[in-house]
Amino acid sequence: MRRLILGLAGLAFAPAVVLAHHGWGSYDASKPVTVVGPIETLKYENPHATITVKAADKVWTVTLAPISRMQTRGAPPELVAVGKTVSAYGYPSTVEKDEMRAERITVDGKTVEMR
Amino acid sequence: MLHEAPQFLVALEQSGLGAAIRQSVWLYPAANVGHILALTVFAGGVVAMDLRLLGAFAAAPPAAIVRPARALAMLGFALLLLTGSILFTAEASHVATNRVFQIKAGLIALGLINALLVNRPLHSAIASAPAFAPLPGRIRLAALLSLCVWFCVAACGRLIAYF
Repeated sequence: MRRLILGLAGLAFAPAVVLAHHGWGSYDASKPVTVVGPIETLKYENPHATITVKAADKVWTVTLAPISRMQTRGAPPELVAVGKTVSAYGYPSTVEKDEMRAERITVDGKTVEMR
Repeated sequence: MLHEAPQFLVALEQSGLGAAIRQSVWLYPAANVGHILALTVFAGGVVAMDLRLLGAFAAAPPAAIVRPARALAMLGFALLLLTGSILFTAEASHVATNRVFQIKAGLIALGLINALLVNRPLHSAIASAPAFAPLPGRIRLAALLSLCVWFCVAACGRLIAYF
């Protein structure tokens, strides 16, 4: 019984060790991209607002910020409305295909920091 | 391991409730903050209870600390469950397929089973135990396991966002 419980206790610590080598964050900051194009869809939702952008190469899903932050930074839904042209600088996801997380976006000549 | 979310979780996420949580400016952050505050209540109760069972604060009879600390832990757990359900509903299909969440859920089950298994021997062991007397080894091992498991649950909770 004692050995079993100690084994289980060890197991309880295992996930942190096993997963540690995957690194933190699922976006590759060493390969920044700038996605430019019209906004095709907008989800102005928590935990992060997302837009899809029809860029020259493909349609990107661009993850923005929590909506309370979007609002306080001056990016209400109207700024990132469907049809507007956006330039989003950020980092591609290492997990989701064609997804990137924006560091900052520029719409209508206005740049808003997302982080 | 779950790689594709079951239909009922997709339906939960796409429900009016799920949408309402995501579209509210304050509800999701409020549940997030509430979850952390509930965790402090839960962890406070768990740590006080388990440390006393392991032999700390020995000047107090075990029951004097364990009973109120356990009640506090159960209150914290109820609040964690409530706030956690809100966070889960907003992103049910994504969260359910997240490996760290799956590990977290397994560890929660382990922690609850541990608490249930030790419930009866615990109550009889502390019923009339005096101060300074060490508790049975089985109780102390369960307390150690409890501390390890619940700390790992908390760590997994925070790590869901990074995997």
